[in-house]
Amino acid sequence: MTTVTTRPQEERKTKFQVWRSRHGWTAGVWLLLIVLVAWYAALLPKFGAFQINSILKNSLPLVFLAIGQGVVVIAGGIDLGVGSMMVLANSVAALLMEGQPFAMTLLIGVGIILGLAAMNAVVGWIVSVSGVPDIVVTLATLFIYGGLALLILPGPGGGTSEGMRWMFTGSTSGVGTNFWPPMIVLLLVTVGVAWFMRRTRPGLSLYASGSDLNAAYLSGVNTKKSKVLSYAISGGLAGMAGLAVLALTNVGDPRFALAGQKTLESVAAIVLGGIALTGGVGSIVGVVAAGIIVFFLDLLLVAIGLDSNTSQVVQGVLIVVVMMVAGLLEVRRRRLE
Amino acid sequence: MTTATTPETGAKQQGRLSDLMQRRPLLVLTAVWIVMILITGAIEPNYLSYGGMRNMILFAAPLGIMAAGQTILMLTGGIDLSVGMIATAAAYVAAFQDAGWIAILLGVAVGALAGSANGVGVGVFKVNPLIMTLAMGTILLGIFSALAQTAFKGSSSPTGFIKAIGTDWAWAVWVLVAIFVIFMLRRTGFGRLLYASGDNPVAVRLSGVRLWQVHISVYALAGVFAAIGGMMLVGRTGAVDLSLAVNFLLPSVAAAVIGGTSIFGGIGTYSGTIMGALILSVLNSLLGFLQVGQAVQNIAYGAIVLGLSWLYASTTGAGRR
Repeated sequence: MTTVTTRPQEERKTKFQVWRSRHGWTAGVWLLLIVLVAWYAALLPKFGAFQINSILKNSLPLVFLAIGQGVVVIAGGIDLGVGSMMVLANSVAALLMEGQPFAMTLLIGVGIILGLAAMNAVVGWIVSVSGVPDIVVTLATLFIYGGLALLILPGPGGGTSEGMRWMFTGSTSGVGTNFWPPMIVLLLVTVGVAWFMRRTRPGLSLYASGSDLNAAYLSGVNTKKSKVLSYAISGGLAGMAGLAVLALTNVGDPRFALAGQKTLESVAAIVLGGIALTGGVGSIVGVVAAGIIVFFLDLLLVAIGLDSNTSQVVQGVLIVVVMMVAGLLEVRRRRLE
Repeated sequence: MTTATTPETGAKQQGRLSDLMQRRPLLVLTAVWIVMILITGAIEPNYLSYGGMRNMILFAAPLGIMAAGQTILMLTGGIDLSVGMIATAAAYVAAFQDAGWIAILLGVAVGALAGSANGVGVGVFKVNPLIMTLAMGTILLGIFSALAQTAFKGSSSPTGFIKAIGTDWAWAVWVLVAIFVIFMLRRTGFGRLLYASGDNPVAVRLSGVRLWQVHISVYALAGVFAAIGGMMLVGRTGAVDLSLAVNFLLPSVAAAVIGGTSIFGGIGTYSGTIMGALILSVLNSLLGFLQVGQAVQNIAYGAIVLGLSWLYASTTGAGRR
């Protein structure tokens, strides 16, 4: 919305004001992350490679989900099924990968990512041809994917290869101080998706469809294809999130409660990251920081000395407060325009 | 609704069945319900008895009451994904009281409070209802996970009155709620306001209605319905735990969707939702007799919501744009 419109008074703005209005929120979120990490570091007796590794590898699943959610929301939809897809990928991977060599698990992993991307592309297709809103369709898929996961893996079990664990956690046992592998995976995905969204024709068409579906359709964007593409991307990224969870815990966990929780967190992360739920506005780079923050709050609240139930309440309240502030800002912006 | 203009939804051929669905949805739903009862009876002959029908009502009544909240919310364009947790919370509070009326009042108060909080978030702060109510569910889960280990420790003993509304008098409670909701939607200004604010919020706002007040009251009312449903559940099972009403969340949405209530707002009736709840109750027994387990049940509910909302969108042409 704001990125494409050119209003007359905007020409009088200085370069800094333009930068602030375009990237201010993203920069602010990263700043918030740095401040929170600094606070956490001050609370602990020792802060080093181990803590950095722990923050990075544990926030990977949520960051992947949030990036996928971000892509769908930018394209004008919302995908409530991401949490279930993560659980499904995690369960299938754990079942298939147990006892396999690294090369085989890598192949299975790629297969799961592509498979989920294809399955969710069908969901995107259903949304675009049925006229049923995204929320209803993906509320249904939240339960369908979740049911599939339970069907495939009725209880916790399975495992993965050491190489797979190293790729997402930096150590073959899942605990260690080497934070480079998770950081490189995170950077690759972030840069890849951000570049795709901002610098390629299909990526920009996602922004166009989300900003104004009719205008995009009339200017020749294949809006149906955009919808399918955005859901395929969120499916693939949810698949990666599932693999990252498996690498962390070395066990498949089909619990349904996890799916709803992660879906909520992914939506919270994109709103905090500056993506408008109305579509067409926001950047993937901000979402990455926001995803880390949403996970990180948990660590921080425990470090302050809250028990896990209280920290869940505080986290929920914080999510609501963030949404309320974002809602008020949105109302104010509309009044100004 | 806005007029359908895009080629996707405009030129669907209208078959006889879809024509019937459009004009007499209750008739079609009742036919589906009866056919499903017969199918279930064919698989498990015991179902076609007083006991079987009683079980159907015992499941459908709390579901139908929770779905009443979902229906009035969907009419205004909202949704409540915290019904399950509000119901559980009310059940916890009510099950640990000694006096019957105080228990009911406290339970209802919990529902009204949580619902109002949802309403404030949605109506005043313009938070997406989905996010607001999902977060409310998380918050309540956290609070009651903690309370279950402290204030509400040990086994609960619901009073005789709560047991009565959960079992023998479940139908009566449901009838009362149904009369109230149907009267409210058809005969009162508030009911018309619900339809109007879901159909065209801008027009409603411009004609001088304070929408935030409508939102707060409708979410509070939905919270009260969820609380009543929760107390009926604990009255039936006799014991309360954190997953008491978890499996009622999607069915409550599904019952309203099956009954023809549009998630876009402005379209729908409670009588449709009642049929939806009855149909889901039969389906629940059917899946139970087939011994398919929770996984297949989740898939089935998801597929029903998806399939039926697709069917409605294509028959009524009420899809978006």
